[in-house]
Amino acid sequence: MSKTILKMKDITKDFPGVRSLDNVSFSAVSGEVLALVGENGAGKSTLMKILSGAWPHNSFSGEILIKDTLHSFTSTKDAEQAGVAIIYQELNLIPELSIAENIFLDREFTTIAGKINWNKVYSETKILLKELHLDYLDPEEKVKELSIGKQQMVEIAKALSLNAHILVLDEPTSALTETETEDLFKIIKKLKTHNVCMIYISHKIDEIKKIADKIMVLRDGKLIGKTVKASSITTNKIISKMVGRDIKEMFPRHKIKRGGKTLEVKNLSIDHPVLKGKKRVKNVSFKAYKGEILGIAGLMGSGRSELACGIFGALDGDTTGKVFLNGKKIKIDSPQAAIENGIALLTEDRKTLGLIMGQSIIHNTTISSLETVSGRWIIDKLKENDIASTLIKKLKIKTSRLDDPIDSLSGGNQQKVVIGKWLNTNPDIFIMDEPTRGIDVGAKVEIYKLMHTLLKNGVTVIMISSDLQEIMEISDRILVMHEGRIVADLSKKQATAKKIMHYATGMEKTK
Amino acid sequence: MKRFLKNNATLIALFALIIIMAILSQLKLGTYTVFLQSANLSNIILQVIEIGIMAVGMTMVILIAGIDLSVGSIMALSAVVSALLLKAGFGVVLTLLFTLSGVGILLGLWNGFWISKYKIPPFIITLGMMTIARGLAHFISNKTAIGVSNKTFNAIGGNYIGRGLSITILVLAFFAIIYLILNENKQKKKYKIDTNRYNTIGKIAALTAGISVAFYIFLGHEGIPISVVIFVTIILSGIFLLHHTKFGRRLYAIGGNEEAARLSGINIFKSKMIVFTIMTTLAALAGIISASRLGSASPNFGSLFELDAIAAVVIGGTSLTGGIGTIKGSIIGTFIIGILNNGLSLLGVSTEYQWMIKGLIIIMAVWFDVVNKRKKI
Ligand SMILES: Nc1ncnc2c1ncn2[C@@H]1O[C@H](COP(=O)(O)OP(=O)(O)OP(=O)(O)O)[C@@H](O)[C@H]1O
Ligand SMILES: [Mg+2]
Repeated sequence: MSKTILKMKDITKDFPGVRSLDNVSFSAVSGEVLALVGENGAGKSTLMKILSGAWPHNSFSGEILIKDTLHSFTSTKDAEQAGVAIIYQELNLIPELSIAENIFLDREFTTIAGKINWNKVYSETKILLKELHLDYLDPEEKVKELSIGKQQMVEIAKALSLNAHILVLDEPTSALTETETEDLFKIIKKLKTHNVCMIYISHKIDEIKKIADKIMVLRDGKLIGKTVKASSITTNKIISKMVGRDIKEMFPRHKIKRGGKTLEVKNLSIDHPVLKGKKRVKNVSFKAYKGEILGIAGLMGSGRSELACGIFGALDGDTTGKVFLNGKKIKIDSPQAAIENGIALLTEDRKTLGLIMGQSIIHNTTISSLETVSGRWIIDKLKENDIASTLIKKLKIKTSRLDDPIDSLSGGNQQKVVIGKWLNTNPDIFIMDEPTRGIDVGAKVEIYKLMHTLLKNGVTVIMISSDLQEIMEISDRILVMHEGRIVADLSKKQATAKKIMHYATGMEKTK
Repeated sequence: MKRFLKNNATLIALFALIIIMAILSQLKLGTYTVFLQSANLSNIILQVIEIGIMAVGMTMVILIAGIDLSVGSIMALSAVVSALLLKAGFGVVLTLLFTLSGVGILLGLWNGFWISKYKIPPFIITLGMMTIARGLAHFISNKTAIGVSNKTFNAIGGNYIGRGLSITILVLAFFAIIYLILNENKQKKKYKIDTNRYNTIGKIAALTAGISVAFYIFLGHEGIPISVVIFVTIILSGIFLLHHTKFGRRLYAIGGNEEAARLSGINIFKSKMIVFTIMTTLAALAGIISASRLGSASPNFGSLFELDAIAAVVIGGTSLTGGIGTIKGSIIGTFIIGILNNGLSLLGVSTEYQWMIKGLIIIMAVWFDVVNKRKKI
């Protein structure tokens, strides 16, 4: 018994200089997962922000019908009342508040006297977290202490707590590990039996094949063809509909010979910032070479990002151990020192750590490499403009104007800006933490090719990735981390998905 | 058009205020407009110099999401110190050097050190400094005003550069700016960036208007006051620093997202130290100008000036959460406050009303800022 619950009709939305949605009409059915796919900047998030009331009804043209009644939302609260919940692509939690406070923000349970019933807030939160297999999280823990993946899970819990009829998930898994993704899928399946209609945005096509009932494709703000059954279309067909051409090789190879040793880390340990005596990285030693992509695999919380931050001098906590660059011992106590030594770190969380929201695209691209566009003091703005626009072209960033705020870019295009910002520093060692997060399939290939160009120029690339397939296909060598230790060093030939998971979950502790 | 209105909202507000004041003073004071006389306009400029100079520094402080409450007290301390030094027989140059470094730079380093090294909120540190400096000013001056009668020193705040020289400066400024505008367009062409002809014409028209007004104000009188030359120099250096140097760019980054700025390799400690030091040094300079113009230095100088400076910056569109703001805006804000003070006094509005009106205007400015920001997602 399937019933159409949502209809969006003739939706058109303009931004200064771009039409981001052009006459989009579709409908969605209760108890089904409708996948929405398309390139970066195709208009997916914009369409969903219209549905969720984030863009009020007078900022676009077209109609939203829920259960055959016309709705004009002026705010997200209106949409929530109509049964629409959304998990945004960019995290929106308040870092200083606890998990429970974030989930029940603005609608805490109150007693008759108007006092907040905290016991209820915490117990409800516990139940929600349990459903998501997150029992180990403490509802009173502050959100800022959580990794980005866990924050994403909290966002999901928050959306679930609304008991919506229509649930939008905008790239929910881009920061999740395989197991967390599996947990999420279990919940999606359960919601289906409760007749919830879900709209699911993702750049991971295999995931979509697994979970979606129907698929629709957006390109340049227009729907391409009709909504189709997920089982009736091949992955290749989806991709060619998305990008308008075929992609021959999803994971291009390179033929660059491995060169000499560049970065060597010896016995690096990093203390936990809050818990005394606990370590987040334990006695880690490894070597990286010129002309090689060194992958670092592991579960969320295994210490990969902390290791990267430690090498980059970004952590306040105590760091012990030695770092050698081209055989010379170096001391890196700040990101500034790291950059001066030719090390770049692309952080995993673009919104809070990578970009300066509210400021222009051009300023964001040059902020870590101002030396290249200035003399001792003065910035050569025209040169800066030149460098930024070259980069925009090179990375195919979809934007109309360079001095627009970075917020006006789609998520994937923002990610490309972060990559560009670090390319501008001309690093010798480029550490990338989840570099392709939120980037569409076509652009991913471009980024892999870009890595190869870097290798050719003698750069050492270190890539942290939670995408198992990506890390296996792209890396020349893979380190696997588990609970702060490196537990395996696998060559490309040795690495299989099974083996990596085996080490990553700590089944085997020997190196 | 909408964009133009939004970008120039404070400037439009300033013009509206001038027109309202002119009309009101006309109605109230009869035959001809006192408010718009060159003597009065020149007076307004002299009255806002201290706050204006401090607003330049305050823009940088608020830009990095900081605040400095100590500047009014530091202004008083600097005035008193310079008066005492002169009295003790030090020369003008030594007095200036010692006051600017001993009061301005030193106290700024102190403020900056606690704020950037130990991450103590600037509100607290500068609140403390506000009372310390005020107490110190009272202590060393023995709670009384000290007369200053050194001709050279008094010239800083009291003298004018001659009319001939004034004309030359204004004319040179006119051509220099035209050259800069045209040169920029030429450079833009070289890099194939679009140049907008109306934009250029608009700029030149605004420039011509500005210079004409300056002619009217200063040449109707005795020429350009020396303190105005200092004021303008500081504004221009401030604008240059914020918009054309690496230092300025880094301040915007720090205010926008301090953590991302740090991870981009910006030395937060150094930047903050410099900003708070610039701020107090400018406050010390304001104190010197005050003492010199009034011919005496009182430990009560500059009381509540920190609030006027903050208000000017906020009215000018700088966001208290950091990352957004311009010196141009702050100067417009300074003049809005100055004209309110001057106009309301001319109209005979008593001080308690003046305070209330000023308060409302500040609230409106912030409200405007918040609403404007909420629209963007
Ligand atoms: N606030 C805004 N101001 C101006 N332009 C915007 C704004 N938000 C989105 N756009 C533009 O609208 C287009 C669609 O963006 P949208 O975020 O919907 O893309 P998307 O399909 O979600 O891409 P991604 O996969 O990268 O998340 C882009 O060209 C983007 O630059
Ligand atoms: Mg998106």
